[in-house]
Amino acid sequence: MKFKDGFYVGLAIFALLVTAPALAQDAKMLEAAKKEGKAVVYGSLESDSANSIFNEFKKKTGITVDYWRASATKVMDRALSEYRAGRPLFDVILTNDNPMQIMFKEGIFAKYESPSAKDFPQNAIDPNLGPRYRNVVIGVVYNKSAIKEADAPKSLQDLVNPKYRGKLVMPDPTQHTTTTQWVASLEKLMGKEKAEKYIRDLAAMKPILVESLLPAAERVVTGETPIAITYVKYAYIYGQKGAPLDYVRLGKFMGDGHYLTLSNKAPHPNAGKAMIDYFLGPESMKMMAKLGEFVNRKGVYPPLADADKIEFVEMYDLGSKGFAQKKKEYQQIFLR
Amino acid sequence: MSVNETAQAVETDVSTAWGRSRLGAFLSQPVSWVFIIVGGIIAFLSLYPTFFLFYGSLTDAPLGVPGHFTVQNYVRAYTDPEAYPLLLNSFIFGFGASGLSIVFALTLAWITIRTNAPYRRLFELTAIVPNILPPILVSISWVMLLNPSNGLINAGLVQLLGIEKGPFNIYSMPGLIFVEGLILTPLAFLIIAAAMKSMDPSLEESAKTLGSNEFGIMRRITFPLIRPAILAAATLNFVRAVESFDTPAIIALPARIEVFTTKIWREALGSFPTNHNLAAAYGVGILGIALVFVYLYRRFTSQVESFSTVTGKGFRPHQIDLGPWRYAASGLALLLLIMLVALPILVLILVAILPYYHVPTWQTWQNLTLDNFRYVWVTPRVHKAFMNSLFLALVGATACMLLASLASYITVRTKIAGRGIIEGLVFIPWAFPGTAMALGLLWAYVDFPVPVYGTIWIILIAYVTRFLPYGLRAVTSTIIQVHKELEEASIVCGAGFMATFRRVMIPMMRPGVMAGWIILVTIFMREFSATLFLYSPGAEPLGPLLYFLYLDGMRGRVAAIGLVISVISIILIAIAQRYSRWDTK
Repeated sequence: MKFKDGFYVGLAIFALLVTAPALAQDAKMLEAAKKEGKAVVYGSLESDSANSIFNEFKKKTGITVDYWRASATKVMDRALSEYRAGRPLFDVILTNDNPMQIMFKEGIFAKYESPSAKDFPQNAIDPNLGPRYRNVVIGVVYNKSAIKEADAPKSLQDLVNPKYRGKLVMPDPTQHTTTTQWVASLEKLMGKEKAEKYIRDLAAMKPILVESLLPAAERVVTGETPIAITYVKYAYIYGQKGAPLDYVRLGKFMGDGHYLTLSNKAPHPNAGKAMIDYFLGPESMKMMAKLGEFVNRKGVYPPLADADKIEFVEMYDLGSKGFAQKKKEYQQIFLR
Repeated sequence: MSVNETAQAVETDVSTAWGRSRLGAFLSQPVSWVFIIVGGIIAFLSLYPTFFLFYGSLTDAPLGVPGHFTVQNYVRAYTDPEAYPLLLNSFIFGFGASGLSIVFALTLAWITIRTNAPYRRLFELTAIVPNILPPILVSISWVMLLNPSNGLINAGLVQLLGIEKGPFNIYSMPGLIFVEGLILTPLAFLIIAAAMKSMDPSLEESAKTLGSNEFGIMRRITFPLIRPAILAAATLNFVRAVESFDTPAIIALPARIEVFTTKIWREALGSFPTNHNLAAAYGVGILGIALVFVYLYRRFTSQVESFSTVTGKGFRPHQIDLGPWRYAASGLALLLLIMLVALPILVLILVAILPYYHVPTWQTWQNLTLDNFRYVWVTPRVHKAFMNSLFLALVGATACMLLASLASYITVRTKIAGRGIIEGLVFIPWAFPGTAMALGLLWAYVDFPVPVYGTIWIILIAYVTRFLPYGLRAVTSTIIQVHKELEEASIVCGAGFMATFRRVMIPMMRPGVMAGWIILVTIFMREFSATLFLYSPGAEPLGPLLYFLYLDGMRGRVAAIGLVISVISIILIAIAQRYSRWDTK
């Protein structure tokens, strides 16, 4: 045996020695998970995306996932209420960065390092919450039947052009938390001074204000309002159904990250862990990307034109005081 | 012991003995035990979550965290000068919507019950249908019909009349009032129609004999007789409008009209993180306003009841012969029902068969799809939700009506001291805004010694707690018409309380019980504001499922499920009516 061969054999034995306990541990954990039978997840990921993954997980492991879907705020409300009352029914929480950070500070999560986390870029791993498995990207979506491509806005600055007055819909930044965050984070793209002026100009356009990002997109889909500030993924999701939508290539897009983490009082801890492992794995991430989601695994993109050219900028984490202050400030600007 | 002391002791003994014998006599009656048990259940259901809401409003920490006593939540909620103009907006909205619902309901009730207009029986049955549709779907349907850019009616009128812009704008205070008015009409119709049906025709006949014409009879006899019912329906609907959030969220927000509930949302429930303590303080304030109106409502309904007790015999008010105008009356009823039922349901059908919602063009008809109905057919999650909701609707409505029947019997038929409190207690959970009450229920039952949290039973408790007033009102209005002689005859013949209740009262109350049951089943099939906070994953009913599909932008699926719920509810109503003689009462 040459030295080189010996080296490789040694390396293989070493790798086996290192990974064998982990694999054995994984198998043990999976066995325990199967005995628990189900995992309970509270989350704000859209039901279709979540259920397609959970169904596949069930096919592979026999473990059922009971999913309670609500808005990020409601997920946090329920999880914290149950936890504080000593009756947590959930194993895993799956939602946006801000509420996850608050729940982390309340001490409701367990530290679980999933083996699937290693495939995520280092800058997408939060030391407390684990991998930021997807980004929800906010941009400008428009209806191609109502506005020709040449006449469509080309940048955020274009949105405040008087020719788009009455044609823009966006969630109410004094009510919708993610939009409050988006408006407050504009300075990350424009600088403080420019952003402040831009926010006032945007308000002066008297955009139609709606409850959240989805109703904004729906108005573009129906053609009621041709341009919306909303999630970029809707251009793909509704486009699949035949709606004539496109999005403005802004280059830099702001958005929020999504995480999933295990509860430290999980009634089914092993099933929860097994679900996290599968959820962060390559198969489920590809499945999610196919449904239009911007997942964070390298080289996996949603089937949306130019998705690979999108440069993601994470929005500010405002904290509860910051939100209250900004909402008050925007009340003066947007509702007066 | 002095003579005086002895006399005093004897007196005390006598009064104690008398007290004991009174208590003994009270407890020896089976009806007293029913009072204690029913009163106890209702007091618990009503006061337990209410206590938690009050407690939450007076503390500075969320549920489960030890906090300090504070009135800061009230100070913050009610010293904000902005709150009062919004309260005024809410009152304008409430008065407008409630007033409009009364105009619609009164017109429909009069045509269907008092005239000889053709197809009136069909119209009467159809008028209940809107109660089946989730209010949020009705609001969305009207946005699709009347939005200024491409609402179907506006677009149609633009094409038809060659005008530049559609004449209607849903995003306005009149638009808001119009949609909420339509949503509130079925309940007003049920109350007013019941009063019209139970009117003694002899008064009108006397007036006719004395030479009054139909208009004079209507003005001087009919209207004064049903006025309490109108006022009762108006106050009830006013409270419902002021507390509603769905319609303002969909219509007022884009119109930049703020009402009190949208403010509560921004400041407390929609804030990040949610401020439950502030929300509870707002809820208590709204409870105060609502209780004033509930008090008025009770006064008005007690007048209705005093009018209704003229006789105990069955009768039907005489029908006014409208001559050739009867076709115009049918036309008017039809127009109202087109607005109330046909248009929203047509929009729902359209949304359900389009791949995505848009104003239909010729090309649209080639792209129609049944995918959304297929989704309903093949998805186990939907089947499970239907089963859960059917269970909740059937068991919940039955339990509610059983409790309501006993409570109603006690309040109307017995002279037990404190019986009036039962009805007051029933209305407290109803007077809270839905989301605030859900919060109270969550706080109350999350750590309850009997582990109901996380099971379907907590939703059942929530439904009975919140919607008992509907059942109580329906059955009370019937019980009042049952003459006491029937019951007395049963007792004279030797039947006890339970036998009389079972063999005389239940059959006689059946129309009211079934009417209440129908209202409750239609509400329970689609309820979501309380359910959302309380249901456990894996036991999802239809209300939350609809809400989540709506949240995920699946309008087509929401519409398809909404239509299937409507069909199931109509089948349940038809079965219930077969057993109730409700329509011929």
